[in-house]
Amino acid sequence: MAGTEDVKAAGLIHCAGPRQMAHPEPAALEEEEHHGSPWPFIIAIGMGVGYFGIVSASVPWLLVGLAIFAGGAGGWIHHDIRRPSSAFYGAVAAIDSKFPRVSARKLGMWLFLATEIMFFSAIIGASWTLRLRTTVPGAAFGGPWAEPGHILNVPLTGLNTFILIISSLTMVEALAAIERGDQRKVRIFLLATLLLGITFLSIQAFEYQKLYFADGLTFKSAPPGSGVNPLYGATFYAQTGVHGSHVTAGVLAMAYVTRKAFKVGFTKENHEAVELVGLYWHFVDVVWIFLFTIVYLI
Amino acid sequence: MAETAVATHVSGTEEHVRKRPYVIVFVILAAVTAIELAITTPGYFLVLEHAFRVGLLIVLSTMKASLVVAYYMHLRYEPRWIALIPLGGLALVAVLVAALLSTTAHA
Repeated sequence: MAGTEDVKAAGLIHCAGPRQMAHPEPAALEEEEHHGSPWPFIIAIGMGVGYFGIVSASVPWLLVGLAIFAGGAGGWIHHDIRRPSSAFYGAVAAIDSKFPRVSARKLGMWLFLATEIMFFSAIIGASWTLRLRTTVPGAAFGGPWAEPGHILNVPLTGLNTFILIISSLTMVEALAAIERGDQRKVRIFLLATLLLGITFLSIQAFEYQKLYFADGLTFKSAPPGSGVNPLYGATFYAQTGVHGSHVTAGVLAMAYVTRKAFKVGFTKENHEAVELVGLYWHFVDVVWIFLFTIVYLI
Repeated sequence: MAETAVATHVSGTEEHVRKRPYVIVFVILAAVTAIELAITTPGYFLVLEHAFRVGLLIVLSTMKASLVVAYYMHLRYEPRWIALIPLGGLALVAVLVAALLSTTAHA
């Protein structure tokens, strides 16, 4: 639907006064009083309390923190899902500079992703260090690493890799659709991405269940009789587990934007949530590209 | 449709449609993944020496990741300074790798 843009263009042609020319933002902006919301602060307080519970090994504090966090997230979703999101229109105007402005939220997402790069590097770096140090002769916890395909099901995970790549394509097509103002396609592509993400997690759950219970690859031991290093399982679950939890968070975020796309819809001018969730989703795909190679193929 | 129309800009009577190569990128990603699987499947991978195979896999996965970041995360179409943010993260990763490599293994 090229509706809004056409109507606006038509409006400019037929009754263009200087005022309309100077204020091309959608009418929704004028109705909004401010962009403030208390919910992010409540979420942050909940996380702080929960973190205190973790570092002080106190389950009650952790549960209190989680409860505040859940309340804050619920309040935010309740507040946001029933109306179009409030983007800062004029602030992101193209400025001829070496450092053109981007929206604060996109900047925030990129900064968050930079911290995620460091987080995943630490997990992968620790696993590689363990691998390199314990497969040398005479090392503590000695023993060789498993050859590719020896313990892990590479074809099944290869299929999962294709699923994740396809989901990246559907995600970027969803963003392209809403940039054209195509309401039907943005819904279809978001829904497809959501379903592909759920499929990825289902296959990973199946893989874990088989590896852990049927094959005996646990956090502390390799499959009996395989002669594989006992640390292999720990590094495998650590690396793929944190990735899987990120996919889970991505699926929850995807469920949210999909629901919103069906409920109130995004517009050609106002769809930053789709873009930001997409950035996160593609980042998780990028991490998987490296993890698949490092954990499964090398 | 190999290219995806992203947005239509109406300027006067002229209409510009931006095209981006999303499907082409997808085909490359899928093809490279297939190559990765082929060179690591028993029966194929014995052809390549271990070190060469590992090097090739790292190059191929870096290539795939770069494509996703450049096109799907549309970093290529953003103001150039945005790239400094993930590069800052990668610089710290380089420090981590250097630190891990410089300490000696305790047997």
